[in-house]
Amino acid sequence: MHMDKTQRGWAFASLIIFAASTVGYVIYALSATPAPSGGSVVGLFFGITGFGFMIFAALLGARKRVPVWRLGRAQAWMRGHLWLGLLSLPMILFHGAFHFGGIMTQVLMWMLIATVGSGLFGAVLQNYLPRTMTTDAPLETIYDEIGNVRTLLREEADRDVESVCGPLGLSHGQTEEAQRAGGFTAMRPLAAAAGARGMVAPAIVASTSTAVAAAPEIILLTEEESAPLRSFYVNEMRPFLERPGERGQALSRPDKAKLAFTGVRTMLPAVAHSALADLEDICDEARQLRKQEQLHHWMHYWLLFHIPLSLALILLGAMHAVMALRY
Amino acid sequence: MARTRTTKKLAQRIDLNYFKRPTPLKRAKLGLSILLPALALAWIAWLVLAKNTSVYSSGRMAEAHAVLANDCAACHVQKAGVFSQKAEDSACLSCHDGPIHHHVATKQVACAQCHNEHRGRINLLAASNENCSQCHSDLKANGGTLNYANAILSFSDGHPEFAVVRAQGGSKPADPGTIKLNHALHMKLIRRGPTGPLVQLQCGNCHRPAAAPADMTYGDAKYVAASTTYKASDELLPVKQESLPPHDLSSGRELMAPVKFATACASCHLLTFDKHFDEGVPHDKPEVVHAFLVTKFTQYIAAHPGDVRVVRDPSRDLAGKAPQPEVRILTPAQWVAERTADAEQLLWRKTCIQCHVLSVGGASVNAAVPTAPSVLPVVAAANTTVKWMPHAKFDHQAHTGFTCISCHTQALTSTLNTDVMMPGIATCQTCHAPGPDHAESRCFECHTYHDWPKRKEITPTFNLPALKHGGR
Amino acid sequence: MATTATPPGLVDLVIDGKPVRVPAGTSVFDAARMNGVTIPTLCHLQNETPVGVCRLCLVEAGGRVLSAACVRPVDPGMKVVTNSDKVLSARKTVLELLMSDHPTPCARQQHSGDCELETQAHAAGIKQARFAKRSVARGRDESSLAIAVDHDACILCDRCIRGCDEIKNNFVLGRMGKGYSAGIAFDLNSPMGESTCISCGECMVSCPTGALTNRGVVGTAIAKTTDAQVFDAEELLQIPVFKGVSGTFLELNTGAIVKRKFRAGELICKEGDFGSTAFYILEGRAQVSISTPIAHVKTDGGAKGFFKKLTSSLVSRTEDKRDEERRDRTIPIDASVDLNYGSPVAELGAGDLFGEMTCMNFYPRSATVRAVSDVVAYEMLRNVLDIMLKNKSFRAQIDANYRRRALENHLRGVPMFADLAPDFIEHLKESVELQRFSPGQMITRQGDPADCFYLVRIGFVKISENYPGGELVLAYLSRGDYFGEIGLLGGGVRTATCTALDHVEVVRISGDDFRQMIERFPTVRAGLAAVAEERQQANQQRMQMLQTVPIDQFLSQGLMEAQSLLVLDLENCTRCDACVNACADAHDGVTRLVRDGLRFDQYLVATSCRQCRDPLCMVGCPVGSIRRRNSLEVIIEDWCIGCGLCARNCPYGNINLHPFEVIVDDPEHAGRKKAAIKQKATSCDLCTHLKEPSCVYACPHDAAHRVDPKTFFSEMLGQGSTK
Repeated sequence: MHMDKTQRGWAFASLIIFAASTVGYVIYALSATPAPSGGSVVGLFFGITGFGFMIFAALLGARKRVPVWRLGRAQAWMRGHLWLGLLSLPMILFHGAFHFGGIMTQVLMWMLIATVGSGLFGAVLQNYLPRTMTTDAPLETIYDEIGNVRTLLREEADRDVESVCGPLGLSHGQTEEAQRAGGFTAMRPLAAAAGARGMVAPAIVASTSTAVAAAPEIILLTEEESAPLRSFYVNEMRPFLERPGERGQALSRPDKAKLAFTGVRTMLPAVAHSALADLEDICDEARQLRKQEQLHHWMHYWLLFHIPLSLALILLGAMHAVMALRY
Repeated sequence: MARTRTTKKLAQRIDLNYFKRPTPLKRAKLGLSILLPALALAWIAWLVLAKNTSVYSSGRMAEAHAVLANDCAACHVQKAGVFSQKAEDSACLSCHDGPIHHHVATKQVACAQCHNEHRGRINLLAASNENCSQCHSDLKANGGTLNYANAILSFSDGHPEFAVVRAQGGSKPADPGTIKLNHALHMKLIRRGPTGPLVQLQCGNCHRPAAAPADMTYGDAKYVAASTTYKASDELLPVKQESLPPHDLSSGRELMAPVKFATACASCHLLTFDKHFDEGVPHDKPEVVHAFLVTKFTQYIAAHPGDVRVVRDPSRDLAGKAPQPEVRILTPAQWVAERTADAEQLLWRKTCIQCHVLSVGGASVNAAVPTAPSVLPVVAAANTTVKWMPHAKFDHQAHTGFTCISCHTQALTSTLNTDVMMPGIATCQTCHAPGPDHAESRCFECHTYHDWPKRKEITPTFNLPALKHGGR
Repeated sequence: MATTATPPGLVDLVIDGKPVRVPAGTSVFDAARMNGVTIPTLCHLQNETPVGVCRLCLVEAGGRVLSAACVRPVDPGMKVVTNSDKVLSARKTVLELLMSDHPTPCARQQHSGDCELETQAHAAGIKQARFAKRSVARGRDESSLAIAVDHDACILCDRCIRGCDEIKNNFVLGRMGKGYSAGIAFDLNSPMGESTCISCGECMVSCPTGALTNRGVVGTAIAKTTDAQVFDAEELLQIPVFKGVSGTFLELNTGAIVKRKFRAGELICKEGDFGSTAFYILEGRAQVSISTPIAHVKTDGGAKGFFKKLTSSLVSRTEDKRDEERRDRTIPIDASVDLNYGSPVAELGAGDLFGEMTCMNFYPRSATVRAVSDVVAYEMLRNVLDIMLKNKSFRAQIDANYRRRALENHLRGVPMFADLAPDFIEHLKESVELQRFSPGQMITRQGDPADCFYLVRIGFVKISENYPGGELVLAYLSRGDYFGEIGLLGGGVRTATCTALDHVEVVRISGDDFRQMIERFPTVRAGLAAVAEERQQANQQRMQMLQTVPIDQFLSQGLMEAQSLLVLDLENCTRCDACVNACADAHDGVTRLVRDGLRFDQYLVATSCRQCRDPLCMVGCPVGSIRRRNSLEVIIEDWCIGCGLCARNCPYGNINLHPFEVIVDDPEHAGRKKAAIKQKATSCDLCTHLKEPSCVYACPHDAAHRVDPKTFFSEMLGQGSTK
């Protein structure tokens, strides 16, 4: 969520709630008989409010499961999640009167601190990283499909190189390609059931092209002429396309990649330059996808901590509520 | 053949059902979302199975209750039809008696209101000021008159001057004690006995906590060893009704013991009665003294029959009085009676009344007026105040870091036994005040809620062997 | 004997020792042919401009080197030798060279043994070429459904190119590439099936080798099944409609027309299938129907508000009435009848032609046809249909059929004309004219006098307006739409250019009839005027807008054409996919939104229907079920048959097909039902059932917006707020 001025309302409201509850707490703490505690009326009020905030924050997850229910805009939920979730920490601290109490409450308190902390971390990441991703990976695609797009890129690069060097003897993911039927998404749902329908797809398949690729123009060079490209592709570029995350890939750094391509270009006749330009483009795209992957991980992996922890927190919190009301 | 990107080409790379496929991220998210709450549940389940209920504890128990840490139900009593299982008074009362505060108190509070458990290893008795001030900030008596300040919030806020030093009815408070002690005199260089050297007394030569051994510098072992016929009630001021003395001054080091003649006075204040004898009379009632004298003289005259011949001592001729014959021969009985009377006149009119108030038939004995020889005077009760502040407790032991006179400053100047040498509230408040640099000033430091003298004997439901075996 | 003076304009020369006299300017080749001397050739065809590329017609004409007879004009006194050893040896070498690249035997040789190159090579005794084969394959192109292209068999004789350009004036074919990669090309080197080729077959007829062959020849034609009776050329000539057609043509098209017998109940064609043939019923009756449920995809939350999961279901018009829905009573299909909305079944009989659109424009089948009684029908490919339609009596018969059976429905299908009195319809039946237009042909031109009114019967018509710097597409009209009323109602001048996009047939109502109609029926007039007004206003707005927007990228991404864009602010978007999940959730698990696409500034223009002002998706819909509401929003009508053509046409990939399981009659077991998957095209419906698009609603990060690109990007486009 981008922290911009549209958050002002929530921030202001949260500040007011925080200030009001702080004042309330201070008054209560000074006058409490015998001492401020979670079990007193005010303490319970803080506890219930804090837990309510937590539950509301956790409900965002449930809300996301039913995106079309008109329960209020997801955006409002997200803002509520951020601000009320944040407020739950002081509320609970007030509830416990800054005591961490017994084992259960200590566990809960640390979990809450960890959850709110990770949430804050995530909010900060999600505030900055989208912009980074926007500028650093302009060729980004959908994260889930990076693997697929990468395969397409590799195949395209194979074709490009083969159009210059002749067959490389590389294995192609034929099945994958056939299954994807050239990327005509509309027919995909049927691809599985297509066997019986026979005639549905051919016209479509024939007419669609794979990915961004243009059909490569075939300019065969002699073996000698194309040797630099061949060895560059087989030894450097294809490994990079296959395992872009691996350490020591020279092409994973834009400056080195530029150098490498410049080097190969000088060794190739001019006719192959456009193919090389395409390869550079592909390389660039692959690098950006890698970058996107990394940023995406940063942007979303903290959730692996935040979500399970918050669920456990809610569970134990409910447990605590029941037990505390009982005893 | 440059690569071109169009929306359609880009879109067609995407599997329309991609979002239904699990990615490692989604899988991990789901897995962890199940795993962690499951772990939490497992933890709870394990605790339930292991019957470990201590985790639900909202905090550590006070040390006294540590043994109950895993036995929630000991205090949290299930009541029929009520979900909540609060710590009920009945649970507390099964081990502890909690006598009521004051029969005119308008409000009875639950134990847990003041004694907060689960707040760690704290003193459970340490109730907060607010517990007290909930009534005392606006005190009302339930019938009868209100004898106390009615708006006390804390020691520093609304607490009146101590009653013992408070002027009442326009007159300064007076020490009800009858022992005529001039503190100022004793605090200066003073001659030890009638003929002894000059000495400087220390407070501790006379005053000591009850449990401390007496400083015998100015005492006399004979007197300590001797038995007496008077009772403590003759020495000590009886404690008033309605008082709430602490039940807990067990060490005997908290309060000063009443100053005893035997341990503090005897070495200077000799009770000699006749030149024929070195020893003094017992420090006891006049009747005992009289009997002692008669016995002493009778024994003496039996041993010295010649002493019945009495030679006039010109130095004892008093103007205006008929002079005694030069030599008189008395019967031993006469001699004993005469000597006893003389000794008693000396004692009653000089020795005893130096400290005690003596009276004969309601008239106080005066040094100038001889008393009727046949009548024994009555010694007024000493009325020594042991506990000056009956509603509060004070621990001298806790204050040993200070010299006595740093609080009891009047001791240096007081010349009258009616002077009250108790420090006022201001003296206490120099240290006992709110704030970090000050000593605790909560009510419970001095006061107690329960009227302990009214306590009943309780047979605790718990005892160690039973707890050891998990039963009750 | 030689004293006879040569008359002016004539030339005397000697060919193979034989004196001949021919008109000046005649080529040596023609001079020889006129005098019974045959010079072998490959590249030269009568009636085509000689190009002299194959060099097979080499002769000694007295020059230093041999000359190509086809391009060598005769000179007076020339001595031509066509069969000297030198000539024969050179010719043999040429053949050897050509053969070295030729895939022997080529498709034509395999099938009919009449590859001209191979025939001549055999005649010259060439068994094995001495020269190395070309190392690069030029490939095959089988994208056309009628003609197979084998570039390797091409000898670059250009006969096809000249056939296409000079004879048919189609100008589709040309040359492309240099050296080894030189070859023929369709348009700008598009695959033949995607080019503007109309499959007339002229190139195929012209080709001397197996480079361009009938797909029947290469084994993929319609004659595969055993019940089809294949005609040879002679038999075809017996059929009345083929009278006067070139025998060669028919010969090459053997297999492109077959006679089929269908037993009662047998399936003739199925809706949604791709095909390339038309059927002409000789005898028997057949039933036309649409088996895909006549319904649209409706997504709603059911009765219990938001606590019920949203589901998509198929509902028909009677169950769910959508705003501004076209209240057509008939569904246009590719036959001489229309189907009724309520009961989409009709009957065809002898003399009916159906599948015309499929055959001519390669649209998917619009309906299912099943034989009622035993049916005998011709099934033909486009080139044959073309020939048939050129036959006047056949045309007349087809047209009469249309007038008799479909015109009334067609007219009444336009809501505005529903009130026309029967007598006037009768009058129109006689007086209207049926006109055909080929792809690209202009129907009306902007600025011309308006003298008639058109109703589209078949095909798609592009309405465009010229503006300085280009052409602006205003609309695409399809079957059931009409045009020309603005000119007639207004100043009598055409305000826009109407062009046939494909094979178009229109019903032309003359100006007089039109005037008569609007006088007699004031409601028609009012309705037409209202629509005309609306159209004109919309057009003006677009023209204005076009003149104010400067940015190239904006235009090149087609954002100008969009009315509503789903944009994701990438500075806010955490790529959480909530929008996609919401879309799928709102549409039965099938997303109508793909979170990928091109960027404009910091915004990702997501792949989701843009409600184009120029909706290319509508072009080609075989049943005309995709169209625009008056609010310009794209809507898919109930009778979508799920062929997927719109999805293919959408330049942005925004239309997808939504599969539904429905219960249909089992064709193999009469009377039984079976589950089948039927598809309906779906595109973003803006979640109209939910007030706000779900994707936007579900975006937790304030990143997704549905916007009007022009207002949204106005600042960026330098317009600011000029209000």
